[in-house]
Amino acid sequence: MNTIIKSPLALAITAALTTTVLPSYAQEDAVKIVQGKCLACHTEENQAAPQWSRISHQRKTPEGWLMTIGRMQMMHGLQISDDDRATVVKYLADRQGLAPEETSTYRYAMERRLDTMESFEDSQFEEMCARCHSGARVGLQRRPAAEWEHLVHFHLGQWPSTEYQALARDRDWFPIALNEMVPKLSKMFPMDSNSWDQWQSAAKPDFVGQWSFAVHQPGRGDGSGLMTITQQAGDRYSVSMEGTWADGTPLKGSGTAIVYTGFEWRAEIDLGGVITRQVLAASKDGMNLSGRVFEAAHDERGMEFSAAKATTGNHQIVAVYPQNLKAGESTEVTIVGTGLKGRVSLGNGVSVEKVLKRTYNSVTVLAKADANATTSANSVTVGGVNGGQFAVYNKVDSIKVQPAFTIARVGGNGGSTPKVQARFEAEAWGAGADGKPGTEDDIRIGYLPASWHVEPFDEAARADNDVYFAGRMDATSGVFTPGNAGPNPERRMSTNNAGNLKVVASVKDGDQTLQGDGQLIVTVQRWNDAPLP
Amino acid sequence: MKHLKAINNKAQLLDKAVAEDQVEEVVAMQSLAGCAATTDPGWEIDAFGSVTSLCQPMESDLYGCADPCWWPAQVPDMMNTHTNWNENALDSGESWRNLGTVFPSDKK
Repeated sequence: MNTIIKSPLALAITAALTTTVLPSYAQEDAVKIVQGKCLACHTEENQAAPQWSRISHQRKTPEGWLMTIGRMQMMHGLQISDDDRATVVKYLADRQGLAPEETSTYRYAMERRLDTMESFEDSQFEEMCARCHSGARVGLQRRPAAEWEHLVHFHLGQWPSTEYQALARDRDWFPIALNEMVPKLSKMFPMDSNSWDQWQSAAKPDFVGQWSFAVHQPGRGDGSGLMTITQQAGDRYSVSMEGTWADGTPLKGSGTAIVYTGFEWRAEIDLGGVITRQVLAASKDGMNLSGRVFEAAHDERGMEFSAAKATTGNHQIVAVYPQNLKAGESTEVTIVGTGLKGRVSLGNGVSVEKVLKRTYNSVTVLAKADANATTSANSVTVGGVNGGQFAVYNKVDSIKVQPAFTIARVGGNGGSTPKVQARFEAEAWGAGADGKPGTEDDIRIGYLPASWHVEPFDEAARADNDVYFAGRMDATSGVFTPGNAGPNPERRMSTNNAGNLKVVASVKDGDQTLQGDGQLIVTVQRWNDAPLP
Repeated sequence: MKHLKAINNKAQLLDKAVAEDQVEEVVAMQSLAGCAATTDPGWEIDAFGSVTSLCQPMESDLYGCADPCWWPAQVPDMMNTHTNWNENALDSGESWRNLGTVFPSDKK
């Protein structure tokens, strides 16, 4: 096998935002590092209350600051150790971060939800800013007009072809960027905001203690357990997780975490031998922690994560699984949360036959749906606590494949990028009162097991035999593994193992089998894979 | 387009899509977070929401596009930022395996 090139920066940046080898955080250390490393180019505008040109006039997420410093290394020859960079990222994210509500629209970028289909009401924003990278990369920054203007100049200087791609050469791109986009961005994403002012002076969440968590992973299912957080020093923590998947296999691990900006939780957890990352946000009141957990080496393999702090006075439901039950059938249902006392109700048409297991943080019951129950999405309650949903159904009327459109990437075959899989779930729906599927009164029944296969999406895909070359769909899990990277001499023109596939889910419901479909583009590698897409 | 005439298959396909009003619809589909929405040509997805009109195998023409930073958020641009990215892969068709990632595992 050939040697794979990795730039020194690539290796160095691996440890960025890491939670294992961070130096003890101190503001003075960070200031000294900035003064020692950054002032060759930036100017010190105020020494007593540290303020520097460019640096002090922007606000970003931890990932955003990491990318900025990484760019200084790649483009401007900055030499900085991993530890020093981590110290500066921490300092800047705390001092010039985003308030919780300023991140809410775009958390998918930090959480690496690359199935997210971005759409923006402002088509100019999409055309001018989200043409090459995600719009979220922009929406997770805050700058005054002067700084947005610098960013326009930087883009054109660094990537001159910006101006002659489609959606640029057909218009007067540069004046539009300067005269229309700069004022617009400084209004959409302003440096000064009440949210940030208030968050800086607000009491911050206390992470220490036990958290009752639930996870859901496409292709794997549901799980729950307890996460215990202990403080190491400052904003660094030790974490242990103890739980089980719904099928009884252990869900157990431990690791370390760091908190940025008072609420941005980043952890690295060894979960049964697999290194995973947690990108979570604490709610402002410190009672919830939610986001996404994914494998460090395969961010497409991830799970939804939601947790409630298991503390006196916190009563809530964070998850209910499975999501549904067919009329006349019985199943075990687990309700995860905290402070769960009292009678369990899964709504009309479902009787709770027996409580099988009960703790302060979860209840598992045997539920039976009435034989004549009609389809409805019920609210769940435990004692006086409401939360979550449980559907009962007499008939599935339609199936939606989720995600409806996504990509997988070829990889491996001796190259530097691994294959990027795609994962699908079959979401069942009832037709609602009008009896017609696909209308507004449809009732979400939730995920059901399905049998999976792929077909050519169109005639071109059929002619190129994409189904054969682009990869394989696992019939049971809905996980698609793409083909090898590199030119394929067996294909026409030695083309790559790319493909355009229809993803088909077949769901059995009594005597009927329903199908739903989505689209999967199997495409080429991404070598420039920054933390924010 | 009135002064341009489509002379190859791809151009004719594009003409057809414009005539059938498909282009707008497809552009909206391409905004998957992290994929290039530029489709002239596209990196992951072509102007028709497919892959058949991409330059493939991409290795045959990779540097023709990496040099002028056509998809700098996906492919390291060799004009200004990663000028030595292909120093061990001068023939991308033969030695594409030597092309490294520039942000391999920094998503914490």
